[in-house]
Amino acid sequence: MDIIVSVRKVPDTAEADVMVEKSGKDIEKSRLTFTINEWDNYAVEEAIQLKEKYGGTVTVITVGPKDVEDILRRSLAMGADKAIRVDMEDPEDAYTLANILSAVIKNQKFDLVLFGAQSGDFNRGVTGVLVARMLGITHAAMVNGIEVLDGSIKASRELEGGLNEVYDIKLPALFTIQTGINEPRYVSISGIRKARKKPLEVLTPSDLGIGSIEPMVRLDKMYLPPPGKLAEFIGGSTEEAAAKLASILKGKGVL
Amino acid sequence: MMEVEETNFDELYEVYACMQCGKCTGSCAVSLRSDFNIRELMRIAILGNNEDVKEHEEIWDCTSCGICTVRCPRDLKPSEVIVGLRSILVEEGEVPSTIRDALESIGNNNNPWGRPKSKRADWMKDLDVEVKNLSEGDEAEYLLYIGCTASYDTRIQKVSRAAVHVLTKLGVDFGVLGEEEPCCGSEARMMGESGLFEMLVEDNMNLFKDFGISKIITLSPHAYNTFTTDYKDYKKRLEEEGIEIPNLELDVKHYTQFLAELIEEGRLTSDMMNEFNKTVVYHDPCYLGKRNNIFKPPRKVLSIIPGINLVEFERREDRSLCCEGAGGRMWSEGTGTGERNAVIRVRDANTLNAEIITVACPFCLSTLEDGRSTAGYEESMEVKDIFEILDEVLK
Ligand code: SF4
Ligand code: SF4
Repeated sequence: MDIIVSVRKVPDTAEADVMVEKSGKDIEKSRLTFTINEWDNYAVEEAIQLKEKYGGTVTVITVGPKDVEDILRRSLAMGADKAIRVDMEDPEDAYTLANILSAVIKNQKFDLVLFGAQSGDFNRGVTGVLVARMLGITHAAMVNGIEVLDGSIKASRELEGGLNEVYDIKLPALFTIQTGINEPRYVSISGIRKARKKPLEVLTPSDLGIGSIEPMVRLDKMYLPPPGKLAEFIGGSTEEAAAKLASILKGKGVL
Repeated sequence: MMEVEETNFDELYEVYACMQCGKCTGSCAVSLRSDFNIRELMRIAILGNNEDVKEHEEIWDCTSCGICTVRCPRDLKPSEVIVGLRSILVEEGEVPSTIRDALESIGNNNNPWGRPKSKRADWMKDLDVEVKNLSEGDEAEYLLYIGCTASYDTRIQKVSRAAVHVLTKLGVDFGVLGEEEPCCGSEARMMGESGLFEMLVEDNMNLFKDFGISKIITLSPHAYNTFTTDYKDYKKRLEEEGIEIPNLELDVKHYTQFLAELIEEGRLTSDMMNEFNKTVVYHDPCYLGKRNNIFKPPRKVLSIIPGINLVEFERREDRSLCCEGAGGRMWSEGTGTGERNAVIRVRDANTLNAEIITVACPFCLSTLEDGRSTAGYEESMEVKDIFEILDEVLK
C-alpha cells in the first residue's frame, strides 16, 4: 500500500504563555518551540505501521520554508521512505493550503492519504477534507481505528458523545487521523541523523503549476478573549467562602 | 522496523569477562522487590541478541545507582551495560511512552518535564535578592547550575531560592543562566539516548564558552557527575568524529564540596549561624556517594551547625539505600511491588527519631517527600535540602 501523509510544524502552546504580536495578526513566536503537529505524528505512525504490516511506501509532505524540514527528517527517521517540501510560506488559509497539497498528491502514486484530524495552532480540521474533495476521493474524518481488508479499509470514526461509527471504505481514500489511534514510537537523535540519507525533494509552487490562489479566509484580527466581567473569586477560609457562596446562590434564587 | 540485530557488548563493555557471580544482583537497589535481575541482563548482553532485550520491560527499573559497578569483582560496569541495552530500545523507538515523552521534551524544550523553556526561570520570581544572569551579560566567578528539576518542580524550586540566599549571604560571586540554562543531559544518557546526550554536550560546551563560564557549582549530584565524567568522555568521542568542541577546562563542584571548602577557608563558620536544635539524618545520594565517593563534605557542612543533633543511617555512605529517583525512574514507575525504598528510608529515619531527613539532591528530595507522605509522617518529619537548613540558620 502506498501512503502519503501530510504534516505541519506548529508551535507548542500547551503550557506556554501565548501573546498576540503588535500587528494583531499573529502570536509572538520567538519564545515558543515548534514541533510536528501532534495529530500528524499519529498519522505518520499509523502509515508506518501499515507499511510494516502490508508493505508499500510512505511519503510525507509539507508546505513551508526550509526550517520546517526537521519534521520531515523526523518522519523519515520514523520509517517514511521519501519526503516532499513545497518551498513557500505556510499559507494560513486552509483552502490555499489544500490546493497546494492536492497539486502535490495528484502527481504521486497512492492508495491512501492521511492527515492529522486538525492542527494544534488553528484547530480548524478542514484541510484534509478539502484535499479529499479536490482529489475527488472518498474520505473519513476523525479516524481512530484502521483495519485493512481486500481493496478497502474498515475505518472507525470517533463521533460526539463517545459514539463510534464504522465504515467500509474503498481505496483510494483520505482519512484524517485522531490522536490515540496508536502509540507513536520514539525517534532517536541518531536515527534522525541517519535519515539524512533518505530522499527529500523540494518543489516550488511553479513546479506544481500553481499561480496565485485567492484565499477563502483572511485573518482580520487576533486578540486574547477579554477576562469575563462576571467571574468573581470568593476568598477567605473554607467556611467563609462556603457561606458567601450560599448567600450568592440564594440571592440568585438557585437555592 | 530495523532487522533483528546483534550488538557486540564485549567490544563496548568487556562483558565476556563476567563470571556470572551474581554480586551485582546481590547488591542491586531494586532486585529485592522487582523481577529486575542485573546478572540475567549481563547474560543477555553476553549473548548479544537485541531481540532478547525487548522482552524485559523491567530494564527501566534500574535507578543507575551504580552500586553494581562498585561491587563487581571483575571491574565490569553492569550499570553502563544497562545504558547500552536501553539504547537498543531507544534506537528502535520501543520505549515506554512516559520515557518517550521525557526524551522528546529534552529535545524540544531542553528539560524532561514537558515544560516550556520560557518558564525555566519562574523559580526566580519570588526571590527577594538580586541575582546575576550570566546569559544577559552579567559576569561572575561561578555559575550556579540549577538543573531542570529544581527549576520547574514547585517543591524543589524552594531549594534553588535557598541556594541563592545562602551564596549571597556568604558573599560568593555567582550568577545563574535563567531561561537560557540548558538540560545537563544526565538522565537522557542514563535512559540510553546517547545521540541526544552528544547533542547536549556539544551545545552546552559552546554555551559555556559563549557566556564565559568555566567554574560551576551544581545543586544536583547528577549534573555534577555528568559534567565531571561523561562530558569529558563524550568530548573525546565527538572530537574523534570530527566535531569541534571548545577547549574548556570546566571546574565543577557539587555545592556541598564548595561549602566545605568555604569552611576550610574560614568563610563559613558556626558563629554565622543560629542554634538549630533538631535531630537530623543525612541521606547519601548515589551520584555523590557511590559514584563519586563524596561522603565527607555534606557531613562537614551539617556538623558545624550549632545545636544540631546529627544521627546516621545504618545503611550509609557506599551502602546507602538508593531512593529510586534516577536512571529515568522519574518517568517510569518501575515494575516492582512492595514498599518503595524511599518509604523504607523514612521508616528507618523514624526509628532514629530523626525530625529531618536532609538531602543534597533534587531527586532524593522528591522521592523522600513522597515516601514521607506515603508513610504518614507529614506531622513528625521533614525532608529538607542542606541548602534549606543553611538558609534557615544563617544569620
Ligand atoms: S558482579 Fe560482575 S562478574 Fe559478577 S555477575 Fe555481576 S557483572 Fe558479572
Ligand atoms: S545501577 Fe543500581 S539499580 Fe541499576 S542494576 Fe546496578 S545496582 Fe541495580
